[in-house]
Order: sequence, then C-alpha cells, then structure tokens
Amino acid sequence: MSIGILSIIIFLPMVTAFLLMLIPLPSRPTRNVAFGVSLAIFALALYIYTHFELTGALQFKEFYPWIKSYGISYSLGIDGFSLIILMLIATLIPSAYLLLWKNERSKSYWINMLFIQSGISGTLFSLDLFLFYFFWEAMLLPVFMIIGLFGSGNRVFSTLKITIYTIMGSLFMFVSILYLGVAHYYEFGLWSFALSDLVNITSIARDQKILLFFGFMLAFAIKIPLFPFHSWLLQTYSNSPTGGVFLLSSIMAKLGVYALVRFMIPLFPDLFVEFSLYFVALGIFGLVYFGIAAISQMNIKKMFAYSSASHLGFITAGVFALNVQGMMGSAFLIVAHAIATGGLFLLVGVMERHLGIRSISGLGGIATKAPWFTLYFAIMLFCTVGIPGTNGFVAELLIVLGIFHYNPYLGVLSALTVLVAASYMFWVFQKAILVKSDNNVSHMKDLSRHEIVGLFPLAFLILAMGVYPDLFLYKIEPTLQHYLLDILHVGVH
Amino acid sequence: MSIILALIVLSPLVSSVLIGLLYMFSITQKPLRKCWFTIPALFAPLISFVLGLSGFLYVAKYDVPLHFQPYLWLGVGEYKIYMGFLGDKLSLFMVLFITFVGWLIHLYATAYMSEDKGYGKFFFYFNLFLSSMLLLVLADGPLIMFIGWEGVGLCSYLLISFYFQDNANVVAGNKAFIVNRVGDLGFLIGLAILFFYCSDAGFSYENIAGKISTMPLWLMEIVGIALFIGAMGKSAQIPLYVWLPDAMAGPTPVSALIHAATMVTAGVYMVARFAFLYELIPNIGLFIAYIGAFSALFAAVIATKQSDIKKILAYSTMSQLGYMFIAVGLGAYSSALFHVFTHAFFKALLFMGAGAVIIALHHEQNIFKMGKMRHVTPVVYMSMLIATLAISGIPPFAGFFSKDEILLVAFGSGEYIIWTIAVCSAVLTAYYMFRLFFVVFEGKNAKHVHHPHDVSWVMKAPLVVLALGSLLAGFVGLPSLLGGTHLIGAWLGEWGMRALHVSHETEWLLLALNIAISLLGIGIAYKKFYAYDLSTHKEAKGIVYNKFYVDEVYDLLFVRSIKKLSEFFAVNLDVNLVDKFIMSLSYGFIKLGHVVALMQNAHVRFYALIMMLGISAASCYLILVLG
Repeated sequence: MSIGILSIIIFLPMVTAFLLMLIPLPSRPTRNVAFGVSLAIFALALYIYTHFELTGALQFKEFYPWIKSYGISYSLGIDGFSLIILMLIATLIPSAYLLLWKNERSKSYWINMLFIQSGISGTLFSLDLFLFYFFWEAMLLPVFMIIGLFGSGNRVFSTLKITIYTIMGSLFMFVSILYLGVAHYYEFGLWSFALSDLVNITSIARDQKILLFFGFMLAFAIKIPLFPFHSWLLQTYSNSPTGGVFLLSSIMAKLGVYALVRFMIPLFPDLFVEFSLYFVALGIFGLVYFGIAAISQMNIKKMFAYSSASHLGFITAGVFALNVQGMMGSAFLIVAHAIATGGLFLLVGVMERHLGIRSISGLGGIATKAPWFTLYFAIMLFCTVGIPGTNGFVAELLIVLGIFHYNPYLGVLSALTVLVAASYMFWVFQKAILVKSDNNVSHMKDLSRHEIVGLFPLAFLILAMGVYPDLFLYKIEPTLQHYLLDILHVGVH
Repeated sequence: MSIILALIVLSPLVSSVLIGLLYMFSITQKPLRKCWFTIPALFAPLISFVLGLSGFLYVAKYDVPLHFQPYLWLGVGEYKIYMGFLGDKLSLFMVLFITFVGWLIHLYATAYMSEDKGYGKFFFYFNLFLSSMLLLVLADGPLIMFIGWEGVGLCSYLLISFYFQDNANVVAGNKAFIVNRVGDLGFLIGLAILFFYCSDAGFSYENIAGKISTMPLWLMEIVGIALFIGAMGKSAQIPLYVWLPDAMAGPTPVSALIHAATMVTAGVYMVARFAFLYELIPNIGLFIAYIGAFSALFAAVIATKQSDIKKILAYSTMSQLGYMFIAVGLGAYSSALFHVFTHAFFKALLFMGAGAVIIALHHEQNIFKMGKMRHVTPVVYMSMLIATLAISGIPPFAGFFSKDEILLVAFGSGEYIIWTIAVCSAVLTAYYMFRLFFVVFEGKNAKHVHHPHDVSWVMKAPLVVLALGSLLAGFVGLPSLLGGTHLIGAWLGEWGMRALHVSHETEWLLLALNIAISLLGIGIAYKKFYAYDLSTHKEAKGIVYNKFYVDEVYDLLFVRSIKKLSEFFAVNLDVNLVDKFIMSLSYGFIKLGHVVALMQNAHVRFYALIMMLGISAASCYLILVLG
C-alpha cells in the first residue's frame, strides 16, 4: 500500500509535530524544522499544480476503508477549486513563519502551527463526510490552544467563545451528515459517508432536505462568518496572537466557503439554486453592513476583522450567483483576500511587536520610520480596496459581473464594493501609518530581512495575478464549469 | 508596427518601477544621486512621445487604425477579454499631447522638486501616472480603459498626499480618491450592463459599437448616464467636483499635469470614445451639456473670490472642463477635443507659471501676498500673460479659437440657455484670470515675507515652449470663416463636426461678441485690480468666498452620517443585539445548570423523596397504561 501525495501533505506536519513533542528541542530549532516542513509542502503542492490536468474531475484520489462496518472511508482528492486553496496555503504558511520568526519564543506555538496545517489540509482534501467532519473539528483544537496560551486581553473567554460557538454550529452539520448516512443505508442497503455515494440519495423528502441544507449551512455560516453569526469574530481576532488571527482570517474562513461549494452544491443542487437569491442578498448585505461597521473601529484588528467579514460576504454572494463569472470571482477573491488580509494581519503583528497593542489614534508617523513596512502595507491595502493591477480588482470585477448577470438590481448594489473598503482602508492608512502625530513611535523599526523576504511572494502574487489573471484562472475554470453545468444545470454562463 | 502601442504604455511603466526600486534602495541602503532618478524619468516620456509620433504618422499615412492584443487578460466562460490596445486617430491624438506636455512638465519638475527628499518617489508616481493615462487612452475596450482609469485615480491620490506627514494633504488625497470612486461606481455599472449586452464577440469598442443598437433605448440611456457619472468624478463636474480644489495640496507639477492638462480630461475623452452610444441618446447628451454649462458658471463664480493662486486655477480648470462637456454633450466631439488640446497648453502653463511664482516667493500661495512679480521674473510674467490671454479668449491666442467654436456650437444647436450661461462664464473667466494676473504681477505695496528671487532656466524653458504652444495651438483649428482649414476637425473626421445652420453674418457677429465680452471682463478686472494696493486688502467673506458651503453640506450628509451609522451598527446592533442574544443563549444554559444543580443538594431525605416519586410514577404507569 503506497501513500499518496495528498496523505503526505496532511500527515507530514502532524507526524513532525508529534516527534517534536517527544524530542526535547528548544524553540528556535523547532521553528526551523516547522519552517522546513512548510517549504517541503510548498514543493509538493507545486508538484501537484504542474501535474494537475485541465478537467473538472477529482484528481490525485486516495481511498482506504477506515471503519468498514459503517462504510466510513479515508477518501481524498482535489479538483481545481481545492487546488487553488492548496496553493494558497502552501504559499502563505511559509511566509507566515518568516513573519513570526522572532515573534514567538515558545516551542508549543510552532507545534500548534504544524497541527493547524495538517487539519487544514485534511479538511481540504476529504471526500468522505465523516472524515471531513473529523478534520473540520480537529483543526479547531490547535487554534483553541494558540489563542488560549498566547493571546492577549480576555483570551480565555474569546477562545472558549469561538470554540463553543463553532462546535455548536458543527453539531448541526454532524447530525445532518448522520442523517444522510442513515438515508443512504435505507435506500441502498449499505452504509456510506462518501460524498460520491451520498449525492445519489433520492429518498429524502423536501422538508427534511431543507432542514439538512440549513444544518450544513449553519456550520459554514458561523465559520465564514455570515450575518448574523459573526459576533465571535471581533473578540477572537483582536485577542488572538498574530499567527492565530492570520490562520483564522486568511485560511480557515475561506474553508467555510470552500466547503459550501464542495459539499452543498453536489448534495443539494436544487436547494442551492432555489435559495441562491437569499444568500446573494445576504452576502451583499454583509458586504455593506460590515464595511460600514468597520469605519468607526478604533482597534486596527477589529477593523480588519470587520473588513474580512465584509469581503467574505461578497465572496459568498459570488458563489451563489450561479454563473461562472461569480464563482470564478469568488475563487479569485478567496486568494486575493487571503493574501491581502493575511499580509495585513502579519504586518499589524510586526507593529504590535515593536509598539505594543495600540488603538489607531495612538499610532501615526510610521511611514517615515519604516518604508518597507509602508510599501507592503500599501500593496495589501490596494489589493483590499481593489485597485487595478492587483488581483483584488479582478476578483471584485468578476463578482460584480456575475451578480449583474444573476440579477441586475442586486448587481447595482454589489457595485458598492468599490466604495466600501476604500472608505475605511484609506482612513486607517492615513491615521495609523502616514500622518505624523504626537504619539511616540520611536520604537518602530522597519521590516527585517526575513520579513521582507517573507512578504515578497504575497506582494508578487497580488500584482502578477492582477496583471495577468488568466494565467491563474484557467486551471480552475473546468472545475467551476463542471459544478455549474453538470451538477447545477444552470446553463453556459 | 502595432507593438509600439504597448511600448508607449510600457516605457513609463518600466521606468516607474525602476525608479521605485532605486528609491527604496536609496532610502534604506545608501542615498543615490539625483541623476539616477532624473535620467529614466525624463527618458520614458520622451520615448513614448517619439513612439506616439511615429504611430501618428503611420495612421496619417495609411489611414488604418493600429490594433495590438498581446495576451488574453481574462477568459471566463465564453467571454474573452484581451489586453488590447487601439491606436486610432482619437487615441493617438491624445497620446501626442499627453506625452509632449507630460514631458515638459517632467522636465519642469526636475527643477521644482530638486530640493525635495522625496525626489525619487515623486518621479516613481509621476511616471506611473503617465503610464496609466496612456493605457486609459490606448485601451481598445472599456474594461482595459477602466484599469487605466482607476490607475490614474490612484496616482492622483498618491501625489495629492505626497507630503503625507501633514494631515490636510492626506485628507485631500482620500477625498479625491473616494469622490472619484463614487464616479467609478457609475462607470462600473455602465460597464457591467454593456458587458452582458454587447460582449458576445469580444469586449472592444468596435464590438460594442456593432451591437449597441440591439439594446433597448431606456437601457442605453441608463448606460449613458452611468458612464457619465464616471466622467463627472474624473473631470470634476457638478456634483462630484469637490475633490479638485483640495487636490491642489499636491506639488504644483502634479496640479499642472494631472489636475489640469491630462487626467481631468479623461472624462471628456471617454464620452468622445463612446460617441457611438451618445449619438443614439441625444437626451442624455443634452443633460451632459447642461451639467457642463452649470459647472462652468458655478466654478467661474467661485473663482472670482478666491485668494489662493492654485485654487483659482483649479476652479478655472473645472470651468473649462464644463465647456468641453457642453461640446461633447451637443455632439461636437472634435470641438471638445480641440479645447482639450489648447487647454492642455495654456492651463499647464498657468500652473507652471504659478508654481514658478510660488517658488520665487518661498512657497507663498496667497495672491494678495504677492505683487510686483513682473520685475522679479520677466520670463514668467510674459508667459503668464500669454496664458492668461489664451484662457480669456483673446485672439490669436489658443483658447480663443476653441472656446469660440464651442460657443458657436451651442448657439448653432439652438441651445440658447446653454449659450447664455457659457457667455456669462466667459466674462467671468476673463475677469478672474486678469484679477489674478494684475494682483500677482502688478500689485503695489507688496510686503513679501521673504525676498523673492528668480527661478532657474530648467523651470523657465518649459514655460517658454508652452507659451509658444498657447500662442500657436489655436491655429490647428482655424475656422473656415477666417480662411483656415480645421485640422483637428479633419483629423477626427469620424467624430464629426456638427453641421451647423449658422450664416456667415451670424458667425462674424458671434466672433465679435466673444471678443467683446472677453474685453469686458478684462476691463472690469483692470479697473478694480490694476496696480491694486495690497496693503489695504481685506480678506473676502461671504457665501461665494466659502464656495457656497458645499463642502460643509457634503461633510454633514455623507461623512458624519455614515460615521453615525457605523457606530449604530457596531455598537447598537452588533454588541447590544446580536452578541447579546448569542451570549444570552449561553448564559441561559448556565442558569439552567444552576436550576438543575439544585437537585444535587446532598440531602438524603430529598433524594429519597425523588426516588419515591419516581417509583410511584413508574407504578402508576404500569398499572394504568399496561395493567
């Protein structure tokens, strides 16, 4: 029995983490090993990217029975949509290590980072709903540890809040998964939790199906988060350590959207189409609502938390727009926003290391002290605002076009995206970074060499994907067409 | 041959990136000498100009537009958008004067900015701007144009807030960006509608023009208005003009290049580019013309009371842009572009002359603190005189011919209201421009805070070239009435002149009238401000001086109210409603726990009681139900 490449990506960090726990190494070599693992995973991801075929089918599949009596299997595979998220994780995590290089002095921080990476990859590759649920919950534990051990402020309260809140949401999903398994058993006479089997179920009545749909949806809506399931977000983001908030905002939130596409579309295609209008509207509402709420925040992490929620609402709206522009735009915005928000949170982390935690009004005059910092901050900011030449622009443009195609009236509203982020991002740039103030920022230092190198891939991707988007889009397109044409049957557009 | 279109855009882009990297190197590693920045900064626009000229000559010779599509920018489903460039008569005409005037302003800026620490950064942004502007005019479809469109907006922001340590500058930059984004919202909506109606074969102007007639008329009108909202933002027309006067916070070369000669005319260019659409919806055209006319008058009125030299010029830019919109609105695209062309010369000259005066007076911008500058800088004096005559509409200077043509169009189209407004604005223009000129150069009893000094020849040489331009540029569009051939009209034949039903006698009469009203304006200014005694000057007051309080009203309506709404969302809704509800669920569980915990109270008798109750209940059940 050979081990597939996807399994290596999942288990390499986990196994390394267990070994590191056993070997009494100090923090610094632990960090170096963890960084090495993330680079190895980047290399593997690159291998997958180059060998990925341009079809909508699942590739690099692995399948082993796990709990045979209940038909639970260890089944992995990726398609174009998971591929780009894999590439994203593989690129972002090494960058995060470089940015956290001097930040964290504790060994357990690095070990938890390794566990998180395993959990994320497992969630991303699972094709069995039971396995998916396992990883979905497993990735929360190291986050719980990181916030609880290394966070600031009322960290225990926030870590309990996020954990209980999301687990509560996931329980509804778990019940739905079990229901599907049982339904499969009754209909076909054998147990299975594999996605490819569960999509064949026809025996569930419409009313039950709607309940199941919202059972899944609740779990994803909390993770993303959609309005009104966002209230865990602010405290968690503002009390998390840099690494924690980085992983939460730029990767885990995106997995909510990913799971939405991966599982909801094949399992409930008709309901997905039927309820799409509400979710497009809810997404746009989130875009505007969170965007406006962000304006009055004086805590920079809280502002970016709202900003994140605002963009994720927009991403969700694009997914539900039921056309290739909208979906492609969402896929692109997942990448763009992960890079930009991730980069911004990492930069805020650098600032906190030098200056301590401060409100926006306690900052100012950083640009003259730290030009590299400012340059990177500006690039991430332009991406968030959607300036042409950055991938944020392409993504927002596609989503707007997609929503226009879906419903012109909502399309007009969705065009508000050009105003929303600009209204607070430029203000925070002015107040916190550019304008000189009376606050003492003499401790601020420019980025170190590690940090400059670490952020370079992010900045490069933002610009490269903005100037030549098609180079990055063509790998995803067959997958999205497959979702739309073969599963949702919503026509060519 | 067609590859030159891409090279025209790339040349300043590459140089900008290069300068940017050098600048980062120079501030973080070791300082570089200025020539490291100067050489690429000056060469890039020059290369673009030469390439643009060769493209221009090529098109003139073979009379076919150039197309260039290097790569598929975005292919989604069946829609394909190529990174495409179009070099036709209109775009190459724009390229020529943008690169020429742009190069002169770059040259001027090497002197103006020479003492500045951000010298490298300045040219990084400046070249980036030029590249975006050239992409805007050379794009072959609205989407690629939009990239340039937003790009110039970004550069404008960066350059307005160039001295970013000062809060006011960054606020002005933010304001410019956000107001422009309001316009972009309109542009994006128009673009999205066009995309779904007209992009089957591709999203270039050509394809759109071919398919436009399949759209219902009402939708065309919506698209027309939506796109024009974009133009209102970029070209500072009512009601989206508020950013332009504040944009003067940037260094003066920025005001000359971006906020006078090039970027602000992008709106006019865009409407001309979409002539195929606007010709089908004359109602919207008329609306545009009215907006233009009111903007022209409104800005001219405000300009009469301002005292900051750059703000006066900013309002005059807005006013002149209004004239251009009158022309495009009435379908006289070549007249509008003629005015764009002449305006680029004399307005760039005015700003650069103003900049020279400001430098000579050690950064003084209030005209009432200037005075007597004639003797200090005679070259600047002469060139400013030419530019002021040009903008006031005195023959044979450039502005006369183009403005006269626009007034003729308005009259000939039978739009007498617009014509009257435009004539009134012309009187005011002559008045406030000569007010500025007389006060600055002839004012008596000036008390200069610093001793004024003359400026270097690197600054004065571009002034002389532009002065020649302001003197001669009008002759390329000499009306047939004066025995000339209208070269611009002939070149932009497709964008046609409107056939006007005006007799020669009327035309002569209008010509004379135009000169007369300009002289009237100058006369009033002469009477009030020639040899004005600056020591007796009192700061103006009143509604006009305060720009009709529009800024204050906008602030109240859009800024403060949104902040209040934000607080309402973040505090009242999120914390006090949503989160409280979620938390009350969890506290509910705790309370439930407390209630249930009462059962476990360590009293054996209580436990026995519960057991008894349980057994009795079970027995009852057994007996009553089963028994």
